[in-house]
Amino acid sequence: MKQLKNFGEFESLRQELKVKEAENEKKVRIYIAMATCSIASGSAKVLEYFKEEMPKQPVEFVIKPTGCLGLCHSEPTVEVVLPGSGPVVFGKVDTKRAKLIIDEYIKNGKLIDGVIEEN
Amino acid sequence: MKSKQIKIALRNCGHIDPEDLSDYIARDGYKALSTTLSGSRETVVQTIIKSGLRGRGGGGFPTGKKWELAAAVKGDKKYVICNADEGDPGAFMDRSVLEGDPHSVLEAMAVCGYAIGADEGYIYIRAEYPLAIKRLKIAMAQAKEAGLLGQNILGTGFNFEIGLKYGAGAFVCGEETALIKSMEGNRGEPIMKPPYPAQKGFMGKPTNVNNVETFANIPAIINKGADWFASIGTEGSKGTKVFALAGKVKNVGLVEVPMGTTLRELIFDIGGGIVGGKKFKAAQTGGPSGGCLTEKHLDTPIDYESLKAAGSMMGSGGLIVMDEDNCMPAVAQFYLDFTVEESCGKCVPCREGNKVLYQILNKITHGNGTLEDLKKLKDLSEIIKSTSLCGLGQTAPNPVLSTLNNFYDEYYEHVVEKKCRAKVCRALIKYIIIPDKCVGCGACKRACPAEAISGEIKQKHLIDQDKCIKCGACYQKCKFNAIIIE
Ligand SMILES: Cc1cc2nc3c(=O)[nH]c(=O)nc-3n(C[C@H](O)[C@H](O)[C@H](O)COP(=O)(O)O)c2cc1C
Ligand code: SF4
Ligand code: SF4
Repeated sequence: MKQLKNFGEFESLRQELKVKEAENEKKVRIYIAMATCSIASGSAKVLEYFKEEMPKQPVEFVIKPTGCLGLCHSEPTVEVVLPGSGPVVFGKVDTKRAKLIIDEYIKNGKLIDGVIEEN
Repeated sequence: MKSKQIKIALRNCGHIDPEDLSDYIARDGYKALSTTLSGSRETVVQTIIKSGLRGRGGGGFPTGKKWELAAAVKGDKKYVICNADEGDPGAFMDRSVLEGDPHSVLEAMAVCGYAIGADEGYIYIRAEYPLAIKRLKIAMAQAKEAGLLGQNILGTGFNFEIGLKYGAGAFVCGEETALIKSMEGNRGEPIMKPPYPAQKGFMGKPTNVNNVETFANIPAIINKGADWFASIGTEGSKGTKVFALAGKVKNVGLVEVPMGTTLRELIFDIGGGIVGGKKFKAAQTGGPSGGCLTEKHLDTPIDYESLKAAGSMMGSGGLIVMDEDNCMPAVAQFYLDFTVEESCGKCVPCREGNKVLYQILNKITHGNGTLEDLKKLKDLSEIIKSTSLCGLGQTAPNPVLSTLNNFYDEYYEHVVEKKCRAKVCRALIKYIIIPDKCVGCGACKRACPAEAISGEIKQKHLIDQDKCIKCGACYQKCKFNAIIIE
């Protein structure tokens, strides 16, 4: 990132990034927890899988490795936000479940088992 | 069900790429720093005071007041320290913040630096947190490159550099004076306060120490306003608290709830209740410095004051849930084992006193305790609390006192009836085969490592109590529920 020299430059970068973020909302967003606990339970493989498989799908998407949502009991967790819908968090995701998430939820909007309800 | 959680400290965790500064900025990152730098130092301090934020590292000292004190001290050089030692067994909220949202802590430290007049900060982090360290390093480099840390931040002339210092994982080094000693390259031993770090801290200079979670709240308070923050929580405890739910609760993990949430909501609504439908017995808050809450506390709104009144403390946010299978004298012994190990040894009451507490508890859990011992536990605990130098020693007896107060009957059973109702203390239990139920399959005999079980195939089996080492292997193996624990 280039050096921000004053408040003005910061503010315009901020607005620019907000616009970009708003654009992302038109895409399928996939957040993959990559904290110590998630990685220990296998999230790196899940991240790789999405990175490999999503470009083959006929949808626009963003994939983000993130920190964790605190759902240690269900790691690895993957949050998927379809354009216009609320976030859905899938727990205990391995590559098999990742495939189901893509085939059922991302492509067809059909929920699969193992969605975590946040209390 | 509507979520009972409110995420402030964890607002970005799980929603941004912690290794990408753009993500953070898109979610109002560094906006608080920009706002701060365009106003006066007093304004920031007043905002934090007004918000009612209190330290999340354990003590609960008002953060704004602390900044005000550090700001008032005259000095050409001051420091900001972020305490990321997190030594409480079972606690990992700070790690989660650092791994999921490192910039929020960096930003808050710079805000603090501006408020108190410091140009240098350090994060004291345990070396066992490699991923958090890696992400902090990336974040520091990115913020510096963007001119949001370092020299002449956003062209304002304000400088703030941040460095990392590594801890070796000693619990006592989380205590602020020991932490500063350790940072200076000395033995991590606490010293007498006053002088407080605000007067004479790192390298003898005025220093402000805050916890990771405390810092993580700061940008949100500045962006959304002190009144917004103060509208969440209870009279004396504002905002939220992150808890690490662990133990016999279904949904083990991190939760962030408004201050004033009840233990019942935490354990049963958010935590999903007790594993295996067992009966709730107690919840330990405050780790080895805290105490346990029991059924009668289930509906108490949790905040700094109510926990203290219940004989426990907020601590850093560890919350360990126990059920009917936990033996309370054994739980106290577990915590004492930890504090005896972690005492720095500088002062006698803590170094020697806690050892004696541990030995008495050991006697009790091995069936050799007396009523006299229970009295000794109590008296000695009081002495250690009032005469130890630092918070470690002053709070180490809390788990003993709290279990004695709430579960005296369990202690009584151990010393008088020589019984452990939770069937945890090996010296007080017996494995017995019920002849009527034994079909003579021999599974127990094959499993026994001590050759304590006799009996021919299809004949009743018998455990020789003198040989039995109470490992429980037979109990696990018997498919006919013929083995019971007494
Ligand atoms: C034995 C002992 C261990 C402590 N460990 C920690 C710790 O791991 N993290 C922390 O932030 N504070 C810890 N503290 C509290 C610190 O001394 C200090 O009060 C705190 O870092 C101040 O920050 P706060 O006001 O933001 O809570 C510990 C205190 C004691 C007595
Ligand atoms: S109370 Fe314990 S840990 Fe604290 S200074 Fe004394 S010996 Fe060291
Ligand atoms: S508890 Fe262990 S040692 Fe005792 S009889 Fe059973 S298997 Fe043998």
